[in-house]
Amino acid sequence: MIRKDTLLAWPMIAFMVLFFISPLVLLAGISLHGEDGSWGLGNFAAFLSDPFARGVLTGTLALGAKVTAWVSLAALPLVMLYWHGGKRLRGLILICTLLPMLTANVVRTFAWVVLLGRNGPISQTLLGLGLTERPISFLFSETGLVMALVQIEMPLLLLPVFSVLNRADRKTLEAAEVLGAGRWRAWFSSIFPQIIPAVLAGWVLVFASATTSYVTQSVIGGARLIYLPQFVYREVGVLFQWPMAAAISILLLASTGVIMLGLTMLARHERLQGHG
Amino acid sequence: MTATLSRRAFTLAGLGALAAPALIRPAFAASGNVVAATFPGSWEDAYRSILTPMVEKAGYGLTIAPSLAQDQIARLMASPGQPPYDALLVSPGQSDILIREGLIEKIDPSRLKNWDLLSPAAQNEWGPNVTIEVNGIAYNPEVVDKPSGYRALFEDKQYEYNLALIGFGSNTATMAYTEINKAYGGSYDNMQPVFDLLEEYLPKVGAIATSGSNQMTMYQQGEIAVFMASTGNVAKLRELGLPCEFAHPETGSPSVPVTIHMVKGAQNPDGVYAYMDAAISAAAQVELAEPPTAMIPTNTTVPYSEVVSQFVTPEQVANAVYPDWQAINRHRAEWTETFDRLVVL
Repeated sequence: MIRKDTLLAWPMIAFMVLFFISPLVLLAGISLHGEDGSWGLGNFAAFLSDPFARGVLTGTLALGAKVTAWVSLAALPLVMLYWHGGKRLRGLILICTLLPMLTANVVRTFAWVVLLGRNGPISQTLLGLGLTERPISFLFSETGLVMALVQIEMPLLLLPVFSVLNRADRKTLEAAEVLGAGRWRAWFSSIFPQIIPAVLAGWVLVFASATTSYVTQSVIGGARLIYLPQFVYREVGVLFQWPMAAAISILLLASTGVIMLGLTMLARHERLQGHG
Repeated sequence: MTATLSRRAFTLAGLGALAAPALIRPAFAASGNVVAATFPGSWEDAYRSILTPMVEKAGYGLTIAPSLAQDQIARLMASPGQPPYDALLVSPGQSDILIREGLIEKIDPSRLKNWDLLSPAAQNEWGPNVTIEVNGIAYNPEVVDKPSGYRALFEDKQYEYNLALIGFGSNTATMAYTEINKAYGGSYDNMQPVFDLLEEYLPKVGAIATSGSNQMTMYQQGEIAVFMASTGNVAKLRELGLPCEFAHPETGSPSVPVTIHMVKGAQNPDGVYAYMDAAISAAAQVELAEPPTAMIPTNTTVPYSEVVSQFVTPEQVANAVYPDWQAINRHRAEWTETFDRLVVL
């Protein structure tokens, strides 16, 4: 029997079923449709038995892992600054984190086209410092793509962490220091466990967003770095192979979904939540 | 005064607000709106600003929906029986697929007042050709010399690291590759010479972009100085203040007419005829021949504009190379796959 206090949730549930679950089921159905009209797992088998396609799949997952790792490294100083900062500095960091999110992903991506180009500030700085002999371009390279994605996706990790830090109990840090822990050890043994679930949630978001970021991947990465979203687009927009595109989409969803599920389960682990 | 709102009323109001657009749209469509797919960018801007008032004057609304030619087909295929567009704008490569798939229908020329003003070549039974896109090589004269043709791009050292390429998803690139292939002894049934050439040239390529517009962005940023382009691309870059010239390949300039098609099952055929008629009218084509679109007119009463004349002459258009799109479409999927596998890092 439906509980009365859940009634308000039903419009949203109906909306999700209609506009998210149903298309997903439809997508799964199309993916089973063979070129000759038969039904089965032929599209999945064709994709997975092709070394090139498998390379695209592993390359996409590797891109997500690299971006997640670099975002974590780049975010750490900001997290420390936020923790130690006063109200004004925290506000400033928060605004700087949120500001890029107020612009569209396309705008941020094209800003990176300017930054990474051979006439861009990164190349000119390297040239000015004498580190390179001629202007170099980071466009159409994985280095450039990872750099852009790290900046674009960073708020997805920072915001959940900041949210937890705002509520983190400083007394645990003081207790660790009173018990003789050094500053770093005190931080990593008292505050870090509190933010781990937020970090894992951030990783889920960063990984999912980086692996599916079609615009950034195609504009910064170019045609020589092929990831699954471009592969799907090619199947639909150039080859008109909808069933194969659906199969690749399902594989993308499944592979990123498994990793996200693993991270989510890790985040819910009782030891990471401080109950162990 | 205090206004109170119960949860039930709030929910109903919310659902009502969500449903409103769905209720309003059919009413708008019934008033005679035409949804016309157009290439994004300067085409979209020009068609919206020039054609919309003309179609409205004829008593119909016009919604310009920007979409690349291949995407238009993909969207039509995605919703059979419920076409998202009433009219399409594509080149012969896509027209061939649309006809084969039964997605468009022949038109009745007597419904177009301006039909007789079209050049005979533009009087296409599947819809009027609104322009001819002449393709060749765009280059930056401050960086490289004028290329004599496609072969020079791969054989002259000055173009190394300056040349951008794109895959077979692009009509412009596909036409260029088929011409290059011919120059190196290949044919539509044997594209291997061009793939061998590309494989050897890859270490010296300036960039391999994902689309024609991506190439133009790279050109703007100074990343590349040469790419396969249409005269329209060059006109657009010039309008942005960039140094850009157009070179006709020595083997002839591959050209494609651009056609407006009536989608099978279009909701407003009368409106589509009004839109077609506006697009081939002298008034519209005079404006469209100016930058940034710089379109080559198909209406015989419209002279080539000054900008168009800088790129092509009527003689060059008459001697242009018109590729065999049926042959191209037979192999296009296989070429696309081979190209992707060849260039991937």
